[in-house]
Amino acid sequence: MKNIVLDATSDTARRYEHRFLVNEAVARLALRTSGTYLPLDRDDRPYQWSTTAYLDTYDWRIFRAAESGAALQLRVREYHRTRPNEILAGGSVYFEMKDDSASTSFKERYEVPTSDLPAYMRGDQKLPRDENGLVERADKAIASGVRPVVVTQYNRIAYAAPDGSMRITADHNLMYLAVPWIANEPSSMPCRIGPVIAREPGVIIEVKWFRELPRWADELYSYVRDHMVNERPSKFVVALRHLLGEEQTGLSK
Amino acid sequence: MKNLAVTMPPGSSTTPTSVVVVEDDPASADVLQRRLQANGMKVSVGRDGGEGLALVREIVPDLVLLDVMLPDTDGYDVCLRIKSDGAISHIPVIFLSARGEVVDKVRGLSCGAADYVTKPWNAAELLARIDAVLLQARNARPPRLEPQALRPQHARPVASIALKDGARRASAEKLLAARFDFARDGAEVVDLVLIDEGATPERELVDDGTAVLVIARGSETPSSEFARLDGELSRHAELLVREMRLVRDMGAAADALITLATALEAHDRFMMGHSERVAGRAVSIAALLGLDQAAIGTIRLGALLRDVGNAKLPPPIVHKPGELTAHEREAVERHPLLGEEILRHVSPLAPILPIVRWHHERLDGAGYPDHLPAEKIPLEVRIVSVADRFEALLVDRPDRAAVTEQEAVRILQGAVGRGELDPAVVAALAAQVRSGAALEGEQ
Repeated sequence: MKNIVLDATSDTARRYEHRFLVNEAVARLALRTSGTYLPLDRDDRPYQWSTTAYLDTYDWRIFRAAESGAALQLRVREYHRTRPNEILAGGSVYFEMKDDSASTSFKERYEVPTSDLPAYMRGDQKLPRDENGLVERADKAIASGVRPVVVTQYNRIAYAAPDGSMRITADHNLMYLAVPWIANEPSSMPCRIGPVIAREPGVIIEVKWFRELPRWADELYSYVRDHMVNERPSKFVVALRHLLGEEQTGLSK
Repeated sequence: MKNLAVTMPPGSSTTPTSVVVVEDDPASADVLQRRLQANGMKVSVGRDGGEGLALVREIVPDLVLLDVMLPDTDGYDVCLRIKSDGAISHIPVIFLSARGEVVDKVRGLSCGAADYVTKPWNAAELLARIDAVLLQARNARPPRLEPQALRPQHARPVASIALKDGARRASAEKLLAARFDFARDGAEVVDLVLIDEGATPERELVDDGTAVLVIARGSETPSSEFARLDGELSRHAELLVREMRLVRDMGAAADALITLATALEAHDRFMMGHSERVAGRAVSIAALLGLDQAAIGTIRLGALLRDVGNAKLPPPIVHKPGELTAHEREAVERHPLLGEEILRHVSPLAPILPIVRWHHERLDGAGYPDHLPAEKIPLEVRIVSVADRFEALLVDRPDRAAVTEQEAVRILQGAVGRGELDPAVVAALAAQVRSGAALEGEQ
């Protein structure tokens, strides 16, 4: 079968990544500070909607691995100006693999035609191998049978260093939603997004960097850490805990 | 008394525009309310996000004016909740906020607001924006379909008693009264006519769908033609009318099957009314998942008839209160196949056959009768399976006590974790139970 990848990006090294749930006032201060030192990410429109469908096996292997500290997340990401009520309706999507551990991550991202996605999820079509070996690991999960299990939607504003060495994002209106997916077949697409499982009450600030943070960012990081509501696990873990009734944090529903 | 009618712009509708203002500052709310009322609008004010949202759901206004900074939540959250609720998502929202940075406006608009006006607002500009937004909303709204007129599902049949003898006529009326209404003026087509032997019914009373029953004086065996004037008359007549309706209307066929399924449950005090509850629950889950009316209709009928195969099993096994033996379990697990067997010749019921056959299948392939893999199980079937298991947990059984709805959701979430049930369907059920609990909490 032909393999069409429209675009691909990959991390060249492990990236530090910390997530905090903060209130609006702290988020505004963090964004103002970030905006003083960093430009808006050129790939992001401020507050565009990011819609991500996370994949897992029928026996939740990826979630269980993530709960134990390290997992290879498989996800499909789309961007929209206004909030869509269905997934996989556009011409192309980003199929991403993210090696996520407690405080660092590795990511590979492939832009693929949406119509090819079911074949990738079935394993009938393979992504080109990457240097970090994420695709090879993803193939093992795919062989066990994966499908979209949960969706997140949020407005993201991102500031990023031009050389890609650091990135600070704020996610507003984060919602976790169900997705009634039947089969990895073209007939399942587009798929209407199901009801809201839970909403984050505050703003998620993510600080991501390679090597070390500059002084101003280090101070901002400490400030956010001191004033956070709490630290957050990945959106995937929070979403799955809610889906399976295993949530341990008090989010608004 | 002085006429206090508000001034309406020329050419405007006589129905005032209804606006909900969500604003926590009483002075700001008051000024805004007066200004809008002076321009012919009917205004309700919510003092925080929760109150505002409740007003919007109750009134379903033409427009919402929403402050961003609210005591209990922020306006973005309120806006998203409005836009996520199918019953009110069409209502345009305008943000009114002192926050005037570009990112605030972009964020507000990306939440689905139609406009964003910064405070302090200028009345002329605000009214112009309101007019523009309302005009746009009126033009954009899709035509509303009139709700389909509902036929009475269980309308009582109408009988005409054409027996010459007054005492026999009175006796027949008494016997039928519990199940039939009576035609008094003799001018309408009825469902059932009772006649004496050798008599013929009046032509005005009958059509192809009318059952004609001869009330025998002798010892004729009750049949589709003859009946006796005794305690069995009512049941006999009703069955006959049902039979006629089956021929006339396949919809009535389904109804009769539902009656059969319900009657089977009526023998089991633990299961009485279970199918109706499963059907109701499945329909509301399906609506929450956005399924169309045709699919919802299939789900309702499928849920009502899913266990009709039990009619072919020995009643002692079907209604056995305790644990089943391996042999009995094997028999019970045949009921989906038996149900499909009963229904498969009724072609209009073809869409519900997957529900009847597969409602005990599981996503992990460990269900019965076909051990289907997850990807072969349609969404309609998954919905009925979840509704069935949920409703079963809510009633006492010989082997366990009933649990609360919240506890039942937790049990089903556990089943999702074990790979048995569809996560999205259980999530929709959980959302429904949660919103029901929230409503109860408010009352």
